Amino acid sequence: MNKTWLVAKTTYKRRIRSGTFLVLTFGLPLLMVIAGAIPFIRNAGDGLPPIGYVDRTGRLAPVEQVALESGTLSLKAYPDVDAARTGVEQGQIAGYLLVPEGYFAGEVPVFHAEEEPNEKLQEGLAAFLRRAMLPEADAVHLERLTDPTDLTYVASATGDRVTEGAGLVVRFATPAVLALVFMLTVLTGASQMGSAVVREKDQRAMEMVITSLSPLELVSGKILGMTLLSLTQVGIWVLGAGIAVGLALSGRAGDQAVALPWSALIWAVLLGVPGYFLYAALASGLGVIAGDHQQARQLAGVLGMLGMTPVYMMGPLVGAIDSPLAVGLTLFPLSAPMIALFRMALTDVPLWQLATSLGILIISLIGSVWFVARIFRAAMLMVGQSLNPRQILRALREA
Amino acid sequence: MGVINRINEIGVCGAMTSIEEALEVQGISKRYGDVQAVGDLSFTVRAGEIFGLLGPNGAGKTTTIRMILDIIKPNGGQVSVLGGPMTEDKKSRIGYLPEERGLYEDMSVLDTLLFLGQLKGLSRQTARARAETYLREVELWDARDLKIKAMSRGMNQKAQFVAGTMHEPDLIIIDEPFSGLDPVNTRLIKRLLYRMRDRGAAIIMSTHQMHQVEEMCGRILLIDHGQRVLYGPLDEIRKRFARNAIEVDLDGELDRVPGVKRLTPRNGGYRMLLEEGAQPEALLKTLVNMPRVKVERFERVKTSLDEIFVQVVEQEGEREPVDAGQEATA
Repeated sequence: MNKTWLVAKTTYKRRIRSGTFLVLTFGLPLLMVIAGAIPFIRNAGDGLPPIGYVDRTGRLAPVEQVALESGTLSLKAYPDVDAARTGVEQGQIAGYLLVPEGYFAGEVPVFHAEEEPNEKLQEGLAAFLRRAMLPEADAVHLERLTDPTDLTYVASATGDRVTEGAGLVVRFATPAVLALVFMLTVLTGASQMGSAVVREKDQRAMEMVITSLSPLELVSGKILGMTLLSLTQVGIWVLGAGIAVGLALSGRAGDQAVALPWSALIWAVLLGVPGYFLYAALASGLGVIAGDHQQARQLAGVLGMLGMTPVYMMGPLVGAIDSPLAVGLTLFPLSAPMIALFRMALTDVPLWQLATSLGILIISLIGSVWFVARIFRAAMLMVGQSLNPRQILRALREA
Repeated sequence: MGVINRINEIGVCGAMTSIEEALEVQGISKRYGDVQAVGDLSFTVRAGEIFGLLGPNGAGKTTTIRMILDIIKPNGGQVSVLGGPMTEDKKSRIGYLPEERGLYEDMSVLDTLLFLGQLKGLSRQTARARAETYLREVELWDARDLKIKAMSRGMNQKAQFVAGTMHEPDLIIIDEPFSGLDPVNTRLIKRLLYRMRDRGAAIIMSTHQMHQVEEMCGRILLIDHGQRVLYGPLDEIRKRFARNAIEVDLDGELDRVPGVKRLTPRNGGYRMLLEEGAQPEALLKTLVNMPRVKVERFERVKTSLDEIFVQVVEQEGEREPVDAGQEATA
């Protein structure tokens, strides 16, 4: 175990300092943050330009100003479109809203301006229409119209109460998000794992290293090190995403206590960790079989597609979440973590299914590591060559 | 021969048992498909000796080494390493410098040695101390933080040598230890090898540099096509292959010398091929007693290992394996 841990530690330290890891780990989230921040930047600022409106229904009350969460929106009524257009040309207003005659019959209003209305302006226009339709209503009633339901969900099995908003989102989205995080980890980790094994063969250090420890210790150490690396990477991403989501939700949850679905979190760890190890073991096995980096990437791609299969299955499973197919995919080791978590978001998965799934997963993992360790001895000396099925069988026989 | 020729092995119960044979190979063979890489090969290597493992390219040397190290499994035969079958624990008592050189290119020299030293069972502190000692010895201490990929071939070779031997193993297997080294660094490595031998380590050296074998090895094994063709003490092998020839440097002219079949002039003297049964001592006496001839150097010509190697390999297949002395039956 000491040697396995030493290999894992060294693998981790070597890879975590590499430029590829740093760019991928910090560059990708940074890019996403920048992309995500653009709309906020565009919406930034308290000031909204004055907007005109043309009421063809004749039933809207005149409104000159509406208060928003931050700032106000000034409005100016025009008798017709030509007057409103002139207002735009003269710079009195930035655009105008045409409320059609059939508005109350379902016809939609049209906004005319040089630029598409941002989120804040859309919020202002909605507030204007509410006020214009119900001029006598007080502010509380108008506010209520923006969010007429305040749903509280009570889980029939457990009696857990989850109120609408952040709490409900967290209750349903957490397992699904965890399933996606698992898939992301597998996709990034699997390709790195295969390449790492090929790189090891290329550097010709294997022959020296293998005279110091058993193939099983070496393979286990490599898988453990690369897994820790992937978990670090995804941990950083999740932490960043968590902070971003926390900031986005702050102030919207109100006084509600956001209860985490601990059951999903615990099973995410119980199924996700051995599930990832299983993919890592298979990826390292493909790296052992592959002759070069290109072949390793191709084989990792096949494994990645296999890892994506549960995603394709989610659509059909939504309507049959407790069907035999769903149960089968929950028990199948390669799909178990994702499908189990996905089902947990929509239904109560029986404990026996989760426990059986975990058992099958662990047995599969042990078998995979054993298999890789046995073919590793034969493959490590074959620099630039791949193992064919006959050689794999011979390696399994002789090891 | 080294001053220490016995090493101690700690038994599983802690009892001390002495063994003289660090390695005993009995009838090992390896077949790859239709190719017999090694066939029925037997030899022993003793503690405290440098043993030459020789053979032309593709003779089966590397396959033999890999079978000894349990990297590949033989199809038949037995290998006894340090008193018994190879175990994971014994790997810490074996040092290996493979022909295919390679270290982790993105790691520094010191980190590499710490990693490999710890894999060989050294504590981190001991590994660091040994790394410092050996790196200073091979003049790489100042380059300890250099990445492997940034080092020259010679530096890489020395670093790899240290990586394979810093845990001071009882059995060392080195494949072409001097390739890529200049004479100064060759001397450095040789000095370390002699010290390890004197400490009691058994060293198997595989090389094509015959002059190094002549200088360093007490016994050799020459294999070809996976078969043993020459095995035993180097001195005895050379005597067996010695031609009855003499080289003489002298002041004077020679025309015909009794007991000499062929007289070949050379710079400052002659090379003489003696007749069957003629003795060098008698020839020396004859030359010394010749008028107007002053003998300056008289030396029996030793057949070089290089010549023996070529001769044996070329004749291999037409003759029985040649064993020298008692060693052949070992």
